Amino acid sequence: MGKIIKQRSTWLFLGLISLILINLSGCDSANSKGTALEHQVIESQGQRLEIIKQRGKIICGINEGLLGFSYKEPDGSYSGLSVDLCKAIAAALFDDPNQVEFRHLQSKGRFRAVVSGEVDLLSRNTTWTLSRDTSGGLDFPPTNFYDGQGLLVSKESGIATIEDLSGKSICVPQGTTSQTNLVATMRKNRLGYLPLPFDNTSQLYAAYEAGKCDVVTSDRSELVARRSQLRKPNAHQVLDVLISKEPLGPAIANGEPAWYDVVKWVTYAMIKAEELKINSQNVDSFQDSKNPEIRRFLGLEGDMGAKLGLSNDFARRVVKHVGNYSEVYERNIGEPFHLARGTNALWQDGGLMYSPPFR
Amino acid sequence: MLLGSCDRHEAQDQAQSSKVEVRGATEARAVSEAPGSRDNRLNKVKNREKLICGVNGQLPGFSLVDENGKYSGMDVDLCRAVAAALFDNPRQVEFRNLDTQDRFRAVQSGEVDLLSRNTTWTLSRDTSVGMEFAPTTFYDGQGLLVTNASKISDLEGLDGKTVCVLSGTTNEQNLAERMEKLGLNYTPIVFEDSDILYDAYEQGSCVAATSDRSQLIARRVLLDKPNDHQVLEVVLSKEPLGPLTVDDDSQWSDVVKWVVYAMIEAEELGINSRNVANFAQSPDPEIRSFLGLEESLGQDLGLPNDFARRIVKHVGNYGEVYERNLGQPFGLERGLNALWTDGGLMYAPPFR
Repeated sequence: MGKIIKQRSTWLFLGLISLILINLSGCDSANSKGTALEHQVIESQGQRLEIIKQRGKIICGINEGLLGFSYKEPDGSYSGLSVDLCKAIAAALFDDPNQVEFRHLQSKGRFRAVVSGEVDLLSRNTTWTLSRDTSGGLDFPPTNFYDGQGLLVSKESGIATIEDLSGKSICVPQGTTSQTNLVATMRKNRLGYLPLPFDNTSQLYAAYEAGKCDVVTSDRSELVARRSQLRKPNAHQVLDVLISKEPLGPAIANGEPAWYDVVKWVTYAMIKAEELKINSQNVDSFQDSKNPEIRRFLGLEGDMGAKLGLSNDFARRVVKHVGNYSEVYERNIGEPFHLARGTNALWQDGGLMYSPPFR
Repeated sequence: MLLGSCDRHEAQDQAQSSKVEVRGATEARAVSEAPGSRDNRLNKVKNREKLICGVNGQLPGFSLVDENGKYSGMDVDLCRAVAAALFDNPRQVEFRNLDTQDRFRAVQSGEVDLLSRNTTWTLSRDTSVGMEFAPTTFYDGQGLLVTNASKISDLEGLDGKTVCVLSGTTNEQNLAERMEKLGLNYTPIVFEDSDILYDAYEQGSCVAATSDRSQLIARRVLLDKPNDHQVLEVVLSKEPLGPLTVDDDSQWSDVVKWVVYAMIEAEELGINSRNVANFAQSPDPEIRSFLGLEESLGQDLGLPNDFARRIVKHVGNYGEVYERNLGQPFGLERGLNALWTDGGLMYAPPFR
């Protein structure tokens, strides 16, 4: 096993049972078992979009336990930013956000499920990296959440910067790039520290809360969600320090240009809608808009949808049923965790969210 | 008709790629075992030992050929960066000047390996034209050129003024929409030809000219007294410019994509053409894998592991390329083209 593949450590097991171990070697381990289903789909390479249309629903691979991104509610429904992307694609295709079959995927096996065709789309807090994009056989549609590794500390610790970590004990999920990045960061800054690696995420946070470590380092999206679950959330804070880039987004199999374009432009439609100030509440009021850009976007004129193999009003459907990017962000991340948009703001507001023109 | 030929091309590529995907199904990383085994564009370029790059050839700052046949510009430097990654030699490029009519057909037919010609990434082009856009290398947008004497500093300043604009462009439409939205009046003076438009502007027929900012800054330096004019900060439309390759050749589009990202990542890591050699002893694991001193990121792409080092050494990081071609000659600030850490949009996914 040559190298540790990035293992997303953003797991939130919020139920009573929270004893799933993170398997560190999952992505590297060969698995030569192929099901009949997989082979059947492989023969249809390049036809994914047609297969989905005929099937009448999309099959979306998700994480069932990450609050804010993809989470199975007690009533069996799904919520989160990654879930909403699946729903948005279903809305674009079928005018019905519920035409989605969700499949729970562990970190281990998630990429195989995409490459083999078992799922149409992986929408599961996955970092876009070079090796996954190339030798992994995957294509990455646009990033829908710019994450990064951060630091959670108690307010009374007085820790505010990387330099303050000198001599501290740091809880870190074992075998992840969070651990690798921590080692590199401390080496670069020539700081001594005591690492406390954990296999199990819940045990890690229990140890932190019990005062066994001064700091937790993991992706900020995980830290903010976990902070809200601590007994006294306000006694803790996620620092503004970022020690890595983690652009999270969906992934599909290589060799599916039509399907790739659909996922890509549905993502952009949510961003573009926010830029045009069109949301789920007001979208119907734009039916009489005279602005040519808006008319084209909503499919009132032009053939943007047809060019994607979709209905011309696909963007209207996405916004109507699921909302624009801001609505999706606030509903899943902003309001529950009080996480400001930051890097995930629109380009015109100082963030990185930018859609190429719909024309 | 255009679409028909594109579809046939795609069908061939799909037949080839499905073989790879079958292997990929058993193990996602298996594809890396034989990155050179496909008769794809990457292998064609390697066997030819040069890159064929479609460019504009007439746009200062992006791609311009001088009297001696020497090419320069942002778009040209991207071609050289791909050649540097492949051959350790930025000169193994054949440039082909393409006009706006021919450019897309040249990509689809395979006449050029890569189009690097100030082309806006739009939905229509990304989808029905059958091409794949690599990451944006220059975030452009429609702007305004005015005389300093006019004291105009924003759109409001155009109220009651005359504006020179090319006929039938999205520039004409965008300006009309924006002015109407702001409740401002102006008189458009419409031209069919760019040269005549800028002559008229220089002679005072209009107080402002509107076009893409990249065009305006280049045109400004060709005026008699460039310092009497300025391109305003205001941006009226989005024009993300970048290179493109044919759809459905993942390996080749990955190469172009990650060459662009290598230039951006190098700037973020503080590695440039002058100091890159110093990093050979760096203990920083991130830098070591980026430069190919550790790991096998190049191999994952079908390239040598030191591909990023070659690019930076021969061509430079994104900041160097920008300053050489646009910043220094035209005084154009980075703006949206700054790194994401500096308030711009330039962001590379992680090299790991």
